Amino acid sequence: MAASSRMEIEKMSVEQLRGLKEQADMEVNLFQDSLNNIRTATARLELASTALHDLSLRPQGKKMLVPLTASLYVPGMLDDAEKVLVDVGTGYFIEKTMAEGKDYCERKISLLKSNYDQLLEVATKKKSIADEAGAVLQAKLKHMAPAQ
Amino acid sequence: MAALKELQRDLENKANDLNKLQKDISKNHQVRKKYTIQLGENELVLKELDLLNEDANVYKLIGPVLVKQDLAEANANVRKRIEYISAELKRLDGTLQDLEEKQNSKKEAVVVPDSRYSRYNKEFSRCRLEKARHNMSKSNKHAV
Repeated sequence: MAASSRMEIEKMSVEQLRGLKEQADMEVNLFQDSLNNIRTATARLELASTALHDLSLRPQGKKMLVPLTASLYVPGMLDDAEKVLVDVGTGYFIEKTMAEGKDYCERKISLLKSNYDQLLEVATKKKSIADEAGAVLQAKLKHMAPAQ
Repeated sequence: MAALKELQRDLENKANDLNKLQKDISKNHQVRKKYTIQLGENELVLKELDLLNEDANVYKLIGPVLVKQDLAEANANVRKRIEYISAELKRLDGTLQDLEEKQNSKKEAVVVPDSRYSRYNKEFSRCRLEKARHNMSKSNKHAV
């Protein structure tokens, strides 16, 4: 499959090759951005999962500091840690038990991981096309230059 | 000469129209992207709501207020939103196809006068060249 696509690329003129390479480069950049976004989101979810796990270890009635703003904390006591409110998107929150909350985090993390893998596959394919186009373009330019 | 100017103006108008169409198409793409993202998010929420038991509590964030909602009502709301967004997406798809067709026909309309324009241009420059040659031969005669 790689051989046939290489033949098609070699048939194209220098102009078309340049255009193809630019377009492929743009798409590769877009894919990289998306991959980064997914990685950030996965990191945040893992943080949430760790926090949940930590919370489940704390006994009820434990003294804690509650953040009211970024720089203001007030002392308080931990209420029932068995129930957690989960933000599911579009402004909806669902009350879940601790186990369900952990399960939710795990589910979301695995969903993101599978998306990441799929995207990585497509991105590497696009990158190889871009690299091939660049190589053929270089070869053609070198070929043309000594002829002049 | 006047015909040449007219063709030029015509070409400019068609180029402006094409530009405007291009901008419309890219705006359409942006709105489509936004709607697609919202649709995805709503479908995720629907999936979560379906996994719940009847007695689970659902809250909706309305401004700064967290309001308790009925599970059935939340389901209905999310489903309605999904329907609305899908309808909007379909409408946008139709508009996009329309715009692309118009763009193609305008592109073809530009190519035709463009060939006439280049023919006119060639004629014009050929006449000028002949005139210049004629002038040169006349001055040569003078020199001689």
